[in-house]
Amino acid sequence: MLKRIWFIFLRDIRINLRELMTVYMLVIPLILAVGINFLSPGINDTSVNLVLVKDENPEQAAYFDDFAHVQLMDNQQEVEYRIAERDDVLGVLAGDNGYYILAQGNEPESVVEYARLLNVLYESEVKLEDARSEIIEFGRTAPPLKKMLVNILLLLITMLAGMLISMNILEEKVDQTVAAINVTPTTRKAFILGKGFTGMFVAIISSIAVILITGFYSINIGQAVLVILSVTIISLVIGFLQGLNSDDFMEAAGSVKLLFLPMAGSIAGYEFVKGNWQIFFYWSPFYWAYRANDMILSKSGSWPQLILYVGIILVICGGIYALLARRIVRGLQ
Amino acid sequence: MIKVKGLYHSYLKDGKYAVKDVNFEVGEGEIFGFLGPSGAGKSTTQGILTGLLQLQKGDVTVAGYDIKNISRKMFNKIGVSFEQSNVYNKMTAKENLSFYARLFDVETRDPLELIELVGLKGKENIKTGEFSKGMKHRLVFARSMINNPTMWFLDEPTTGLDPAIAAAIKDIIKDRNKMGVTVFLTTHNMYIADELCDRVGFIVEGEIKLIDSPKNLKLQYGEKLVEVEYTQNGSVKKDCFSTILQKDKDALNKIINEKEILTMHTKEATLEEIFIKVTGRELV
Ligand SMILES: Nc1ncnc2c1ncn2[C@@H]1O[C@H](COP(=O)(O)OP(=O)(O)O)[C@@H](O)[C@H]1O
Ligand SMILES: [Mg+2]
Repeated sequence: MLKRIWFIFLRDIRINLRELMTVYMLVIPLILAVGINFLSPGINDTSVNLVLVKDENPEQAAYFDDFAHVQLMDNQQEVEYRIAERDDVLGVLAGDNGYYILAQGNEPESVVEYARLLNVLYESEVKLEDARSEIIEFGRTAPPLKKMLVNILLLLITMLAGMLISMNILEEKVDQTVAAINVTPTTRKAFILGKGFTGMFVAIISSIAVILITGFYSINIGQAVLVILSVTIISLVIGFLQGLNSDDFMEAAGSVKLLFLPMAGSIAGYEFVKGNWQIFFYWSPFYWAYRANDMILSKSGSWPQLILYVGIILVICGGIYALLARRIVRGLQ
Repeated sequence: MIKVKGLYHSYLKDGKYAVKDVNFEVGEGEIFGFLGPSGAGKSTTQGILTGLLQLQKGDVTVAGYDIKNISRKMFNKIGVSFEQSNVYNKMTAKENLSFYARLFDVETRDPLELIELVGLKGKENIKTGEFSKGMKHRLVFARSMINNPTMWFLDEPTTGLDPAIAAAIKDIIKDRNKMGVTVFLTTHNMYIADELCDRVGFIVEGEIKLIDSPKNLKLQYGEKLVEVEYTQNGSVKKDCFSTILQKDKDALNKIINEKEILTMHTKEATLEEIFIKVTGRELV
């Protein structure tokens, strides 16, 4: 059983990597991720640049390096030259009563505040683990726009996974190869799982890639993968049905249309609908996935909360699968 | 190897039967030919026997397995060649066979050896999407052997192939059969059937009209055929009549009485002629 699931999956992946259209579908989330980086700077790219004197206080330099771009100069003179050169570069220099911030004067206030805060945190020996939450609260780490775009992209990936499935099913349909598979020891379940695994695999790999490209390294990637996996089920089910019911590529790609509206609606609902009214989106697995991912991306969630969200997604997707499973199995005969 | 009793199948479950009251048995090591014009119900029967179509009514056992509750393990022993040339167009010939081989639990044959066997050597690394229909058909035939089946279903294995290749396919079937493989063969090629089959079943409009060995059929019908050449309205006509069927006897009588006979002699009938005599249908 496992062996056959594996070989069916492997075949699909191999064929998908060979076709321009499917390769394009695999690459597009990565391109969009790079695009997001252009639109809004990375979460770890604090856009605060600090200049220190080399070897003067290596421990301090290392500490700052976790939160800002740190550049080291040979002496105080060079630090001053460097600051005169560019706008938003700040120097942190040793003075008579501890360290002081050297600025040119036209830097944004928040940047100066940030540097000052960092310095205070260092001097009061706040550890990275303690400090992190405060730094994030400071509002500089995960820009809300970026978080939202990445979250949307993660949902789009599940949709693409569904589309990929529908195209792979369409291939079997056009070539009439299901009949050939059906006269081997392969069970329908193994066939469906093998095909589905392709979508799951692509969804996971693309999601992780997007998370890494956009700089959300420090979130709990395992949690994100769990959410993606659970919500991908619905795209896969729709993808299967769409593939079975279509006769050409354009029709198969139409599964996207089916998923797009509830997905866009759920995102808009979460982002723009106030408090109590959100209850109107509770039916949508995309709503819960978006909400869960939002929590994960802002590193503000707990495992029990996440398990609850994933549980809700699984119940809804499981229900949809139960409703449509017979049609899928019948379609494979 | 195969037992079929009271088999009926209606695609739309509307009382119109694609096969009706079909009964036959195929013994171990036998080549059984299912002959009939297109639309007769041959593929439908094979579909039910291989579990691709749901059994609606009747009792069917294949290789010791009751088709009502099919076991996937059964397919390790079975090979199926399809009427449609259903291969993955995006994969090469070799990839098609290698992938298929992995789906079985038993020892499988070398894809390259099989590709060579059906005369596709040199084409193994070409995507089958670029193959002609006949080439794909040969690949499907080769694929059906990959798990060394002891029960082999062949739906029109030679249809659409040129005579030399058809003859090669025929020899492969004969060889496998000599090694003990049971064959259920569907065809409307009478020469292949005549040469290969231990017994043939004539099927027309979903019903089996007769089952016998080609040899018996010829003994029974062959020597009693009369071929007559005569002139009618100034042109020469040629007809063939049975001397046992009353209808034919009457017609022959009429010609002898009314027309000018040019030649008249008895002859050994081909299986095709026997089919036409028995079923009243052409084999197309
Ligand atoms: N999928 C189907 N749906 C409805 N009718 C079908 C289907 N397949 C075959 N038939 C009908 O069943 C009859 C037998 O077809 P088939 O078994 O394919 O004949 P053969 O293989 O002898 O040419 C034909 O009348 C055909 O039109
Ligand atoms: Mg047929």
